[in-house]
Amino acid sequence: MRRVAVVGVGVTKFGKHDRTSSELFAEAAADALADAGLPASAVQALYYGNVVGGETEHQLHTGPQAASILGLHGIPTTRFETACASSHAAFRHAVMEIAAGVSDVVLVGGAERVLNVPTSESTEYFAYASDAVWEQTLGLTFPGVFALIARAHMDKYGTTEEQMAAVAVKNHKHGAKNPKAQFQKEITVEQVMKSAYVADPLKLYDCCPFTDGGAAVVLASEEVARKYRKPIWVLASAAASDWMLMGDKRDLSRVPATERAAAAAYRQAGLLPQDVDVVELHDCFTIAEIVATEGLGLFEPGTGGLAAEKGWTSVGGKIPVNPSGGLKAKGHPIGATGAAQIAEIVTQLRGEAGPRQVDGARTGLAHTLGGNTATVLVSLFGRG
Amino acid sequence: MAEPVVTLRHFFERARAGQLTGVRCGKCGELAIPPKELCPACGERAWQPVPLAGEGTIASFTVIRVAPRAYAADVPYAIAAVKLKEGVSLLGRIVDIPFEKLAIGLPVRFRPLVKDDQTAVGFGPA
Repeated sequence: MRRVAVVGVGVTKFGKHDRTSSELFAEAAADALADAGLPASAVQALYYGNVVGGETEHQLHTGPQAASILGLHGIPTTRFETACASSHAAFRHAVMEIAAGVSDVVLVGGAERVLNVPTSESTEYFAYASDAVWEQTLGLTFPGVFALIARAHMDKYGTTEEQMAAVAVKNHKHGAKNPKAQFQKEITVEQVMKSAYVADPLKLYDCCPFTDGGAAVVLASEEVARKYRKPIWVLASAAASDWMLMGDKRDLSRVPATERAAAAAYRQAGLLPQDVDVVELHDCFTIAEIVATEGLGLFEPGTGGLAAEKGWTSVGGKIPVNPSGGLKAKGHPIGATGAAQIAEIVTQLRGEAGPRQVDGARTGLAHTLGGNTATVLVSLFGRG
Repeated sequence: MAEPVVTLRHFFERARAGQLTGVRCGKCGELAIPPKELCPACGERAWQPVPLAGEGTIASFTVIRVAPRAYAADVPYAIAAVKLKEGVSLLGRIVDIPFEKLAIGLPVRFRPLVKDDQTAVGFGPA
């Protein structure tokens, strides 16, 4: 297998846009190619993530659509849909295409547009990522899924709503230093605790926002990457799944797909959790960050809440988590999220993250979760 | 081609009549709900339908206050993960139990929630 590197990254401002998802992807992709110093003609394939384009934009077939808007044609394009993990799944397959020797330069990215429809409508479309026959018919929502996880975690380990609030406060503090973030404003534990319940015990400020945005990364084979500036090497990219139905998950306080994908990624890279210097992980809800820090082996099961409260996951702490602001503050354009997390890790490992830079970061981890925890991707990255 | 032992349609027809149904593997004894094509424990395709008592306890729960469009008129409503006494679990809508009484470990009983031609899993007081 050949080594693969990220040689270019691009991310749009996250928030509300009056442009289609394809346009948002195209902006990010053009930025990523410029960052790589590669012409569009060098791209041999596009792996693309988009989730609810069929619903919010009446647009399927988004692979060639996104390539066309970018100004590329003729290359193979594939759209991936693994709910919120879509562009990270696209990334893993692009890595395999280069590692296998099929292509030398592959463009990966994703985009989403949801703020053009009302919240009740986007809530419904996101719920499509739960089982239609068994769970959607209950009126289950994504905050509802993570509320079940939160309650189980609180019951088993004594995790508190204040500890969950600490995750939101920390990610907003990080996001305040990210010019691309949807929310660039610090918040207090009190504000989180006073916000309205969305799905008990989760409150509005425990939840990431709906977001429009696009992200892209350019991948290259070692031979090509050596010619370009600061290649960041893909040390591992692993995926795992879990039962689709929440009832089939035996312990709701855990996300087994995270544990499986992380174990596979650490094995591929020959690394341990303590070797990681910076993490971007899937904090769609504050409890999701707590459970992910445990599943990734960064903290013992049951101590993820304490870690947030003590500042161990802040920039400057033991293991900085979500220096970008995470999904919570940076925003969560679901089809773009995985690629945007990878872009942040690459920026951190290059030492180009400005005021939110994790000093001396050499090894980074990106973790992306799909929908009801049934899909998880974990990739590891290294400098030089 | 083997005939499925319990299709989704059969399951919900029985559920509509008040009977929760699982499948038990004729080879290894694994119990599953909802029905699957292959046994996740041994990989065999030897299911037998088994009636379930419909009795269980709450493993986790939430009160939904922001709903998808189709359920907006129902808010607030509770959903729970329920561990059935046979050992398998299901999500269901909680009915006729005040929110303040909801607790992990609370005994509940299955009841079908029928609306037009749709049947959903519900749980009420034991």
